[in-house]
Amino acid sequence: MYYYVYDEFVQDPKFERELSAIETRLTDLGIAGKIARLALFRDPKELIRDEIRKGAKTIVAIGNDLTLRKVIDAVADRDVVVGMIPFGKDNNVIADLIGMPGGVESCDVLSARILQELDLGMVNSRRFLHTVVMQNVSKVEIECDRDFTISPFRACEIVVRNLAMPEDDVRAADPTDGRLEVVVRVPQRSWFGAKKIATTVVPVKRAVIRSATNVAGAADGEAFEGNEFIFESLPRQVRVITGRARKF
Amino acid sequence: MAKSTAEETIIARGVRVEGDFKSQGAVLIEGEVAGNVQIAGDLRVGDESKIHADVVAQNAVVGGEVRGNIQVAGRLELLSSAKMIGDVTADVLSVQAGALVNGKITMDGREVKMPKVESSDDKE
Repeated sequence: MYYYVYDEFVQDPKFERELSAIETRLTDLGIAGKIARLALFRDPKELIRDEIRKGAKTIVAIGNDLTLRKVIDAVADRDVVVGMIPFGKDNNVIADLIGMPGGVESCDVLSARILQELDLGMVNSRRFLHTVVMQNVSKVEIECDRDFTISPFRACEIVVRNLAMPEDDVRAADPTDGRLEVVVRVPQRSWFGAKKIATTVVPVKRAVIRSATNVAGAADGEAFEGNEFIFESLPRQVRVITGRARKF
Repeated sequence: MAKSTAEETIIARGVRVEGDFKSQGAVLIEGEVAGNVQIAGDLRVGDESKIHADVVAQNAVVGGEVRGNIQVAGRLELLSSAKMIGDVTADVLSVQAGALVNGKITMDGREVKMPKVESSDDKE
């Protein structure tokens, strides 16, 4: 049984046409199901877990990365499959990574059901699929796998990646290798003012980031704050429907 | 911005690593490291890096400063900018003109015990 979780912003009238086309296609493919509409004071976790108890086997997030995060938080440790139909232009990185096209085409990908067991990352009991980003972090120490520590000499950007695209200075992060990737970008001083960044990359199973000051971060786009963050890789935690164009 | 390299672990300039640094794969060190370095794959040490540690690796190319003993199971290459202060054990050794070596060099074919990198799960 399919259960579709519509994010609040998807219910905007500007998406009405697209949504209607998707619903028709889902019915044509025989994978239509129950619908839940998220709203400000509705706890998505409770809503989804209740439906899993009633027998939902596939939970589909209709929205963006933040919608998928809410679904993943709710389905952890449950024997269900997670899918996604991306909507809107903002915060839609994960759809691209898992090979989900936008619009009606995503219904066909859902129907094909190519399943991948993916790792999740966890930071202070908050799960994430994609990355955690902390910018302009100073006076910080990163303890890796209880073996060694990394101390940047000056304020830096720290990104902890589980599933991520390759960039100029780092390769793609593989969400099936049982590890997270800690990326530390430290700006370097240069003579002629050209900005240079030195990038440290360390794969870990567990990392603790401690800072003398309060640090703001974002886990899959959701903001949080603190001065100690415990990261862990949770291998093969979630089964996700992916497209052939997936990036891992 | 540095281009991505073949190494899966990179210790870049601007950071200091302390403790038992272990890795299963290839490693590039361009920053500072103190403690122990145990690498089951290949190691590359950049020109400006400083390592104060005993080092074990499969193969190594050293361009920076290493203070400590280095044991390499296969080939060790010391570039002209290398500064080695400590004993060297290797199966094959290549030293470029200008490299500085201060220590005992052993090439008697003795087996170098490669590190078995233990995962954090094993430590639970």
